[in-house]
Amino acid sequence: MKGKQNATGWAFLLPAIILICAFSLYPMISALITSFQTGTGVNIKFAGLSNYIRCFKDDVFIQSLKNCAFYLIIQVPVMLIIALVLASILNNPKLKFRGFFRTAIFLPCATSLVAYAIIFRSLFATDGFINMIALKLGIINHAYNFLSNPTSAKIIIIIALIWRWTGYNMVFYLAGLQNIEYSVYEAAKIDGASAFQTFFKITVPLLKPTILMTAIMSTNGTLQLFDESMNLTKGGPGNASITMSHYIYNMSFKGVPNFGYTSAMSFIILIMVAILAFVQMKVGDERD
Amino acid sequence: MTSKVKSTFIYIFLGIVTVVSVFPLLWMIIAATNKSVDVIAGKLTFGTYIAENYQNLIAQQPLWSSFLNSCKYTILVTAFALIVSSLAGYAFEIYRDKAKEKIYVVVLMSMMIPFVALMVPLFRMYSKLGLLNSAVGFMLPSLATPLLIMMFRTNAKAFPIDIIEAARIDGLSEFGIFLRMYIPSMKSIFAAAGVVTFMNAWNNYLWAKVIMSDNTTQTMPMLISNLISGYVTDYGMLMLAVLITTIPTAIVFFALQKYFVEGITGSVK
Amino acid sequence: MKKRIVSVLVVAAMTVGMLSGCGSSEKKSSEKDENTLTVWAWDQSFNIYAMKEAEKVYQKDHPDFKLNIVETGWDDMQTQLGTIVGAGNYDKLPDICLMQDFAYQKYVTTYPDLYQDITDCGVDWSEFAEGKLAASTVDGKHYGVPFDNGAEIACYRTDILKQAGYTIDDLTDIDWNRFIEIGKDVYDKTGYSLLSVQADSSDLIYQMLQSAGFGTWTEDGKPDLAGNENIKQCIEIYEEMKDANVLNVVNSWDEYVATFTSGKTAGVINGCWILASVQTAEDQSGKWALTDMPALPGVSSATNYSNQGGSTWAITQNCKNTELAEDFLASTFAGSTELYDTILPKSGAIATWLPASESDVYNEPQEFFGGQAIYAQIADFASKTPSVDLGVYYTEANKALATAIANVSGGSSIDSELKTAQETVEFNMNQQ
Repeated sequence: MKGKQNATGWAFLLPAIILICAFSLYPMISALITSFQTGTGVNIKFAGLSNYIRCFKDDVFIQSLKNCAFYLIIQVPVMLIIALVLASILNNPKLKFRGFFRTAIFLPCATSLVAYAIIFRSLFATDGFINMIALKLGIINHAYNFLSNPTSAKIIIIIALIWRWTGYNMVFYLAGLQNIEYSVYEAAKIDGASAFQTFFKITVPLLKPTILMTAIMSTNGTLQLFDESMNLTKGGPGNASITMSHYIYNMSFKGVPNFGYTSAMSFIILIMVAILAFVQMKVGDERD
Repeated sequence: MTSKVKSTFIYIFLGIVTVVSVFPLLWMIIAATNKSVDVIAGKLTFGTYIAENYQNLIAQQPLWSSFLNSCKYTILVTAFALIVSSLAGYAFEIYRDKAKEKIYVVVLMSMMIPFVALMVPLFRMYSKLGLLNSAVGFMLPSLATPLLIMMFRTNAKAFPIDIIEAARIDGLSEFGIFLRMYIPSMKSIFAAAGVVTFMNAWNNYLWAKVIMSDNTTQTMPMLISNLISGYVTDYGMLMLAVLITTIPTAIVFFALQKYFVEGITGSVK
Repeated sequence: MKKRIVSVLVVAAMTVGMLSGCGSSEKKSSEKDENTLTVWAWDQSFNIYAMKEAEKVYQKDHPDFKLNIVETGWDDMQTQLGTIVGAGNYDKLPDICLMQDFAYQKYVTTYPDLYQDITDCGVDWSEFAEGKLAASTVDGKHYGVPFDNGAEIACYRTDILKQAGYTIDDLTDIDWNRFIEIGKDVYDKTGYSLLSVQADSSDLIYQMLQSAGFGTWTEDGKPDLAGNENIKQCIEIYEEMKDANVLNVVNSWDEYVATFTSGKTAGVINGCWILASVQTAEDQSGKWALTDMPALPGVSSATNYSNQGGSTWAITQNCKNTELAEDFLASTFAGSTELYDTILPKSGAIATWLPASESDVYNEPQEFFGGQAIYAQIADFASKTPSVDLGVYYTEANKALATAIANVSGGSSIDSELKTAQETVEFNMNQQ
């Protein structure tokens, strides 16, 4: 009996394992080998760990690493909390227009990058909507070029990320919430629990596996962030908002390519995500 | 009274979030009806140029064949990705053992590296296997996605193990349990996974562009990329194309979101 | 047992289905017939249009000839080329591919066998402007047939100039000091800036440098940024213009185009391909005039001519029918005035093939520019442009310089920023 189940388990896994081995693992191992080589064009030679050492001498890469860390620390918690709150509000069967609200809040991540990059830039432009409002309200006394300042450029990226991905994460929570019987909430209500209490005592603990999953996904997504840096700020001003993936892309395809070096940078991202995911899983487990 | 105040507050909050969320889409719709010059000048009222924009777009680009290509690839990828990943996610949780846990870690690791780093080795492999120029080759890497596997595994935790045992005693096969019990009870998860996969597959183009690069296989994201790569960009036309590209994902979400209310208890009886 | 077999079978069937299924749209490149050439190019209304016209011209003598043009934006093309050359398998390359001039040295030097040496293909190379030809020439060998021109133009709104009491002649053959003087006056009187640029771009600095024949490399190919007085002068001019509102710095391409099509900027200085964007503002027809760019003040080699962009057709190593490709390019882009006469009026593609610029089409008055024969003028600018070697590491230097400008605008000193830029480029070049 056990043997049969075991075999079935492997059979179920087989397609996924074959595909991942062929289309992820194999190229990854190949890239790992490349990361120990250096040179441009056809002149490639073995270089040991020199590419990895080079990463930490590269001011732009260090800058991009710091930028990603900044995005990660601020954006991921804020976004996940908003998504969680929205999901628990929208899970209430008594709420009217639920389908409409859900779709509306999901729409940002379906909105084309091209369009929303143009809109965000024009909103935050010197003569844009945000400046106009802030001037009228007297928050600032002269128009401010948000994208030309290193700090505000980064904050715009964070705002854009929250705008775009909150609805996406909300979907996971909404789906996860269906595993909790709504009667649990009803019972809590009868017991006189407040909205905050039910949120922290029921929703959060029961959704913990999903929260952990979205935390890992968002960590991964932020450390590999490319789109916003590329399309919204072009990494600027200077390199003030560039992300690691954006820098790797530039080095691979825009400049004279050294694939050994870009592979090494990519593996540094992998190591960082893996460590953070491991920590998150440990923290998630301890609270069980 | 307090509950009325509370619910008013909630509706106001949702209203604000909705406006912020939908505004760019609305802008896109408005922009699609305006002339290029007006779009970048920031005009916020509807124009009369939508017909011209459409005429220009179809004169310049194979709009509907690109749209059909996108639909075709996206539907195939979504369907197969759901099958492959749900099987894997289910197996990782229900039949878990030490060996599978180790493989699970490897699966997760495979998403942690930027795709840019894998393009060159993948291309080399494709040219050896003769997968270049093939639609299959473009779809294969997106079928077993760690995200989906993780999602199905996480949610399989909530699938009651007693039900499985009972079904086994009733003589249902392992695959039967998956097919007749797990899938129906996980409608909301399949719906969410379907939306997410559809969206990712719909927007995915870099790899397709690299290995296919042929007019007959052009998809919507490639079309948009071409529209913005000229010396002069027609923003009205671009926004119309972008709008057409956005609609399917929105429709899929709207169609599937009703499953988010169907809880597990309703199905497993 | 039976159940296990069933489940294994189902899974296996799915896997097979996936691997073999949906392959109907698969096309083998072997089906390609001998008279068809595949071309990668961007811009439907410009390069692709020109290629289609060239196809028609060539088909007159070669009725079986056909082109398969695949629209590919420059960014996408770089990714594709990078992946293909990185993997070392050239089968996926087209026969002919359009290349940005600034990237030529990089690809030819780094991947010596990527493009075919077509020096002996029958093109009379002396019929191309020397400065243009330099981009696709490495060690005396020609690796491409030059196509469009990136000659620097300056164009201004005559109605705004008039309000401030100036004419287009006041802005012709001037230097940047005079430009700033006029610019301040125009801004005070009308509220219009005379020029706009995209932030995080060093293109304007490059244009200024090239106008005096300056580059960013020493003779032995080392970066020449730190302590470079010429670059410093250009950045100082840039900063002075910005501070005096003569130069309007915006954050993106769409905003840049909007500054002159609908915004408060009365002038454009860029490669001549920008004219297509200028002309999208149909309501401004007749209000623009074209002239040469300002020169660097106090520099002996200064001219009023420069270059930004431009592209060249290359034949790749994957082309199996080199003779056909060579003959096609030689008898169209390097041998057909008819082709250039057709494409100029519709697309504004200005030739670098000198015999074409003698055609009457170039002297046609252009209504948008108040009846000025701008194309003849641009062809004239092109012939006077100093030639500059952009170098293999152009992209790296360009980015480093753009970062320097952004930081100078943020308050850093020019000297220290140029030093940092120098170090960045040296770091990028030292890849061993």
